[in-house]
Amino acid sequence: MSRNPLLSTHGLIAGYGDFQALFGIDFEIHPKEVVAFIGANGAGKSTFLKCLMGLVSTAPGTVRLDGEPIARRSPHESVKLGLAMVPEGRRLFAGMSVEDNLLVARDHGRRLSENGRAWTLERVHALFPVLRDKRDARVESLSGGQQQMVSIGRALLCNPRLLLCDEISLGLAPLVIREIYAALPTITAEGTAALIVEQDVGLAKSASSRLYCLLEGRVTLHRPSSEVSRAEITQAYFGTSHHAVA
Amino acid sequence: MQWLDAAIQGVLLGGLYAQYALGMSLMFGVMRIVNTAHGDLLILLSFAAIVIATYLGIGPYATMFVLVPLAAVAGYALQRLVLNRAVGSDPLPSLIATFGLSITIQNALLAGFTADARSLPGNGLESASLSIGPLFVGLLPVQIFCAALVLTGTIHLLLRRTRFGRALRAAAADADAASMIGVNPRHVYAGATALAVGVLGVAAVFHALRVTVSPADGPGQLIYAFEAVIIGGMGSLWGGFLGALLLGVAQVVGGRIDAGWGSLAGHLVFLAVLAVRPQGLFGGGSR
Repeated sequence: MSRNPLLSTHGLIAGYGDFQALFGIDFEIHPKEVVAFIGANGAGKSTFLKCLMGLVSTAPGTVRLDGEPIARRSPHESVKLGLAMVPEGRRLFAGMSVEDNLLVARDHGRRLSENGRAWTLERVHALFPVLRDKRDARVESLSGGQQQMVSIGRALLCNPRLLLCDEISLGLAPLVIREIYAALPTITAEGTAALIVEQDVGLAKSASSRLYCLLEGRVTLHRPSSEVSRAEITQAYFGTSHHAVA
Repeated sequence: MQWLDAAIQGVLLGGLYAQYALGMSLMFGVMRIVNTAHGDLLILLSFAAIVIATYLGIGPYATMFVLVPLAAVAGYALQRLVLNRAVGSDPLPSLIATFGLSITIQNALLAGFTADARSLPGNGLESASLSIGPLFVGLLPVQIFCAALVLTGTIHLLLRRTRFGRALRAAAADADAASMIGVNPRHVYAGATALAVGVLGVAAVFHALRVTVSPADGPGQLIYAFEAVIIGGMGSLWGGFLGALLLGVAQVVGGRIDAGWGSLAGHLVFLAVLAVRPQGLFGGGSR
């Protein structure tokens, strides 16, 4: 890990008004890597993603892309820099068809200048074939899992270098979750990195190469996913004073 | 026959209201802005049309070609410089901003044009008529109605089929989610207002041809646009169109019953719809 990370944060602090949600987060992610963020509700996971995306403002110099500090920006400017987000709760455009939801992203997402292979409707359909069959259906008529696929497809059509996924398994059936997570290697195969925020610790551990555990706005654990034990996670998840009944 | 004639005249009058309603429906549907300056913008553009036609010595349709692009640019600037600062989940700031704009426009017009009523010369267009069997219909109202139909249809297709239309619908559904995939909502909003005020440029030329205009006329026209949009269902384009026709028919039929009842009949239909179906006749349907 000697080369510059794709994206890194350095002592990132953020909050809403008087409430501070993040206390100095140091983080890095490299191309093709899948990194998981775990932690209890309110630990600051979603806030961290919002900081990266530009939905919550951060101090200058605390977020770096390719080693270079990136300035305060609006979310649509973050997209141009190569970030895209699958927001919590999917946030699809109600009243519009599956196809139109995807086309908005294709129209406004990042254009690839390198010779990288751009995401197209066809590639999204190949990844999630059900979206081809449902292309003319209104998004609100889809099942939760299908809606999540639209939301992921929409983010992919922005051709992100870093895909931010906020709780994509929330409220979905285990079989559907497995189907969605099975798409992750295809997504990262061509250099896209993925940062997944996940409630399901087992899922986060198996899908990622490294994981960070957040507790009350601080990183309490940062280890390669394969090396981390359940006891360590429990301790980081609930704090040192808590003794889990294993 | 008298009532058939009233219905036809009403539908044609509704064509003009449909043009007023279009921009209002668009701005509400996309940004949840209730533009209380809509009527005053119409009057402002009517005066602009009169000035353009007088100084350039051109006919009403040529005036439209000059006025509409200017109106669209003005709408874009209005959104970028004023309304984008007021738009958000709270509807009150934009309501106050457009209310302030309404007062500003009225007083600026009063200062610039005095309270005299003026109108746009139509070179005989305003009095020409067609006879269909025993009925006579004015050529101008027919053209106004056709223009309303074409405008509504064009905007419908624009929203459905184009890149800009998709971005507009996406930002209307969830502006934050749209921004997360590269849409700049403020730019899209400015486009929506440019479109709304541009359409109002067409309506303004017809308005100034049909009746005389004076600086304080705006709020009266705003009421008709409002009623048409609410009868049809807020944010529904074709709903607003049909609401405008219903309003037009109610006014003309009411006027035939008693000359003083025209506007009143329209208001009563509006109140009846509010009482029976507050979401509007086509509210909650497709946009």
